[in-house]
Amino acid sequence: MVRLYPNRCQLVGSAFISGFLISLVRSFIIDYYLFCSFQIHFVILISRQGKVRLTKWYSPYQQKERSTVIRELSGLILTRGPKLCNFVEWKGFKVVYRRHDSIILVILNLYASLYFCICIDPDDNELEILEIIHHFVEILDRYFGSVCELDLIFNFHKAYYILDEILIAGELQESSKKTVARLIAAQVNVTERCVSLAF
Amino acid sequence: MEQLKTIGRELAMGSQGGGWTGQSKEFLDLVKSIGEARSKAEEDRIILREIESLRRRIAEPDVPRRRMKEYIIRLVYAEMLGHDASFGYIHAVKMTHDDSLSLKRTGYLAVTLFLSDDHDLIILIVNTIQKDLRSDNYLIVCAALTAACKLINEETIPAVLPQVVDLLAHPKEAVRKKAVMALHRFYQRSPASVSHLISNFRKRLCDNDPGVMGATLCPLFDLITADVNSYKDLVISFVSILKQVAERRLPKAYDYHQMAAPFIQIKLLKILALLGSGDKQASGHIYNVLGDIFRKCESSSNIGNAVLYECICCVSSIYPNAKLLDAAAESTSKFLKSESHNLKYLGIDALGRLIKINPDVAEEHQLAVIDCLEDPDDTLKRKTFELLYKMTKSTNVEVIVDRMIDYMISINDNHYKTEIASRCVELAEQFAPSNQWFIQFSVSNNFTFQTMNKVFEHAGDLVNVRVAHNLMRLIAEGFGEDDEGADSQLRSSAFNIELLFLHSELEFIYGNSTHIAAKILNNILCNKFLKMVLIFYSCMCLFS
Repeated sequence: MVRLYPNRCQLVGSAFISGFLISLVRSFIIDYYLFCSFQIHFVILISRQGKVRLTKWYSPYQQKERSTVIRELSGLILTRGPKLCNFVEWKGFKVVYRRHDSIILVILNLYASLYFCICIDPDDNELEILEIIHHFVEILDRYFGSVCELDLIFNFHKAYYILDEILIAGELQESSKKTVARLIAAQVNVTERCVSLAF
Repeated sequence: MEQLKTIGRELAMGSQGGGWTGQSKEFLDLVKSIGEARSKAEEDRIILREIESLRRRIAEPDVPRRRMKEYIIRLVYAEMLGHDASFGYIHAVKMTHDDSLSLKRTGYLAVTLFLSDDHDLIILIVNTIQKDLRSDNYLIVCAALTAACKLINEETIPAVLPQVVDLLAHPKEAVRKKAVMALHRFYQRSPASVSHLISNFRKRLCDNDPGVMGATLCPLFDLITADVNSYKDLVISFVSILKQVAERRLPKAYDYHQMAAPFIQIKLLKILALLGSGDKQASGHIYNVLGDIFRKCESSSNIGNAVLYECICCVSSIYPNAKLLDAAAESTSKFLKSESHNLKYLGIDALGRLIKINPDVAEEHQLAVIDCLEDPDDTLKRKTFELLYKMTKSTNVEVIVDRMIDYMISINDNHYKTEIASRCVELAEQFAPSNQWFIQFSVSNNFTFQTMNKVFEHAGDLVNVRVAHNLMRLIAEGFGEDDEGADSQLRSSAFNIELLFLHSELEFIYGNSTHIAAKILNNILCNKFLKMVLIFYSCMCLFS
C-alpha cells in the first residue's frame, strides 16, 4: 500500500510536521505571559453597555491588544445569564467576573450594573478570585459610601489608588479592609492639607 | 424617566464620601458627555477633541501645578478608553519629581498606567524612585515602592535593590509589606540578581504584622515551586502559622465574612500542598491541621467554600491519608449536589483531582457528572469534558469520544474546537479497544472532520493529517496478527477504507463534481483487481 503512494506519505508527513511546529510556536508565545505560576493578568471594570470604567494591566499588553481584549471579553461576559458560573474560559486563561448593582440606583429602579472582571491562570482557585473582587467592592463601598457606577466614573483615579493597595504586581497584597482604609485615609489627609496650603 | 435619571444622578453624586478635591467643571462635563454619547464613534470624536485641546494646553509654559495634575488625570482617562496620549508621558514623569505628595502620587499613578518597564522614559524615573525610597515620609516611600513594582526591569534592579532591602526593616508595616512585594517582583524579573537575598523572605515570615507575613507567602510560594527541597524545613513553621490562623489568633481586622484570614489560609494551603507532595514525613505534620480546617469551614459562604476547595486540592496532592480523602470526597459530593453553578464547577474540578488517587470515587457521582455535561452553561460543559478526558478507559472510550465529537460540531470557538479535536484523536489512539475500531473511527470521523472543513479548515486539516498519518502507518506495518485469515480480512477492509479515504480526498480537492462519479465507481467495483487498477489510475491522475 505504502509503496504505491510514496509522494503522498511525504506530503502527509510534512504537513503533520509543519502543523506540529506551528502549535509549538503558539505555545511559546502563550508561555511568555505565564512566567509566574499564579498571577492576575488584568482587572477590567465595564458597564452593562460595555463602557470601560477602569482597567489595570499586570501583564504586558499593547494598546491595540487591550482594545481587542476588552471587546472580546465584553461580548463573552455581558451575554451570560445570571444563574451561570461566574467563570469563563478564554484563550487558555480563565476570567472571573462579578456583577455589582448599587443600592441607590436599585431603589430608583435604574438599571446600571458594573461588571468586575479579573483574568487569571487556568489552575488558580476561581472562587478565591471571586471573593477578592468582592473584597475590592466592599472597600470601595466603605470609601465612597455605597459605591455606584457614577462614583467610579467621576473618581476613577481614586479607585486606582485603592486597587493599588489591594493588588500589586498581580497578587493580593493586603487582605485587611481596615489597613487599606487607614492607608488611603492617611494619603487623603495629607493631600487635603496640601490643598488648603496651596491656597 | 429623564427626570428620575437626573435625580438619581444628583443623589448618587451627593453620597460620595471621597469628595471632589478639585475637579474642574470642564472635566465633569467631559465625563458626562462621554457617558451620554450614543455611539462609539461619537465617544471617539469627543475624546480626540479633548486630546487635541490638552496637547495645546499642556505645552504652554507656566501651567499651574494643580492644573497640570488635572490634565494628567484627563490623559489617563483618555488612554483608559483606548486612545493614544503619548505626548503627555513626559509631563507625567516631570510630575513625579514634585515635592508635594498629592502631585507626586498622581505622577506615579500616571506613569505606572502609561509606561511599561521597557519604555525609554524609565531612565528619568529611576533616579526619582531612588530618592523617594530614602524619603522620611513613609507615604512617599510607599508610592515609590508601588511604582517600582511595575516599572523596574532587569537592568534597573541593581539601582534600587539596596534601598529596597533596607526598607524590609522599616518601622512602618505598610512599607515592609510593599518592600517584600517589590523584592518578589524583582525575583520574578531576574532570579539571579536577587538569589543572595532570599533569606530575607524567610525572616519576614516571622514578622509581627500579619499583613507582612501574608505578603511574604507570595514570594515563598514561587521559591518553593522552583525548588521544593530547600524549604522542607519550613513545613513545621507553616503548619503552626496555619493553626494559629484557624484558631482565630490573628487580629479581627483580617476576618472576612466570619472566616479568619481566609486569603492567608488559602495561600498557606497552596504552599503546604507543594511541600507535602510525595513526601510521607512532611505530609504527616500537615494531616492534623488539615482535618481541623475541614471541620471548621463554613460551607454556607463563598469564601468558606473557596477554602474547602483549596483543602481538597491540598489533600489530593500530599501523601494519601484515608480519613482526609474521605472528608474530601464528602465535600466534593456536597459541591456537586448544590444548586449553584460555581460550586458544581468546583465539584467537577475536585472530582478530577480525586480520581487520580482513587478512580472509584467517580462511580457514585456519574449522574451528577452527566447533568453537568448536559447543562446549558458552556463553562461547566467544558470543565466536565476535561473530567471525562481524565476518566477515559478502554471500556468507555467510544462513548466519550462520540460525545466529544458531537459537542465539537456544535460550538463556534475555533481555538477550543482544535483542542477538542486533538484530544479526541489522542484518546482514540491511546485507548482504542482494537485496531479495527481505530481505523473505523478514523475513517468515519474523517468524514465528520471533512464536512466541517468547509466552515473551519484549520482544525480539520490538522486532525486529518494526523489521522491519515496514523492510518498509513498501521496499514504499512500490518497489524501483527498471527491469524492469516483475520489478517487478510483486515487488509481487505483496509482496502475498502483506503478507497473511501481516496474518495474523500478527491471530494475535497475537486469539490462536489466527483462525488457521484466516485460513488458509482465504488459501488460497481467489488473486484480486488479492478480496484487496484482504479487506484493506480487515479494515483497517476492526482500526481501528474
